[in-house]
Amino acid sequence: MEENENLTAERSLEIIRESIEQSRRAMSKHAGTPMIWWGSMVVVFSLLIAYLWNHHGGPAWNVLWFVMTIVGFIGNRLLDKHKKPVPKNIIGSVISKVWLTFAIFVCGIGLIFCLAGFGVISLEWIAPSYGIPLTSIITFVMGMASTLTGFILKNRFVPICSIIAGIGGFFLAQCYLGGEQLLVMAAVAVIGLVIPGIILNIQTRE
Amino acid sequence: MFQPLDPLLHSELRLAVMSLLVSVEEAEFPYIKEQTGATAGNLSVQLDKLSEAGYIAVEKTYKGKRPCTICRITPAGLKAFEGYVDALKSYLEISK
Repeated sequence: MEENENLTAERSLEIIRESIEQSRRAMSKHAGTPMIWWGSMVVVFSLLIAYLWNHHGGPAWNVLWFVMTIVGFIGNRLLDKHKKPVPKNIIGSVISKVWLTFAIFVCGIGLIFCLAGFGVISLEWIAPSYGIPLTSIITFVMGMASTLTGFILKNRFVPICSIIAGIGGFFLAQCYLGGEQLLVMAAVAVIGLVIPGIILNIQTRE
Repeated sequence: MFQPLDPLLHSELRLAVMSLLVSVEEAEFPYIKEQTGATAGNLSVQLDKLSEAGYIAVEKTYKGKRPCTICRITPAGLKAFEGYVDALKSYLEISK
């Protein structure tokens, strides 16, 4: 594009429309990669923790979720480094805040359960016998965050997958006890994160 | 009645730069160059013109050891862009 000052009104509008559309496409390119990455991490750790929970010592292995968080962040940073830099924009900022909120809530709840697991606080205080299983709550919140991401990106498939995963996971996790709950978590991660992430990347591929 | 078009924005490359910057918080020089397909030299000249008019803010910084030029639209630039689009509308309405 060179300097041309003999523009018609139509050509000017076309330049504005093309530039904004091109920029929007460039920014949403690879938007699904973090979803695929985090979804895969949840699947791997869910299956690993479920196996260890059932065969090697019970729910104490849930502490591995904190390891997943650290590995996930490091991997995410590495993925970002290899990605073409895109400008800071309001859409990216809002999506980051949605997932930051999710992380704060889940890590906060996880930490409180961890303290109860180590006997620092009483388990009866935080999880009475009639309570909803933690996996149900996490899958529900994960589904909500993923749905919001889809709505913000104006993608129709992501909210559909995420709503199915979030609501389905919420009820299914209540049907299973112990390590089996984590199989539900793995399924929710596939339907609510990995598949939407793949769809997003395919749709934004040039 | 035709509204006057801002001569600074009534240029293919400068208009494209402003249209890119209007949808982002800030953008680096290589991104703008790639999106507009302009040469580095020409783009620098046009960015300087926009910067001198107060339409964009240009920050020269470092990313690690590499120099990095970051551009962002200013409130004056946003107002000028809105005015330009309004003026374009008047042209299109009259030509209908």
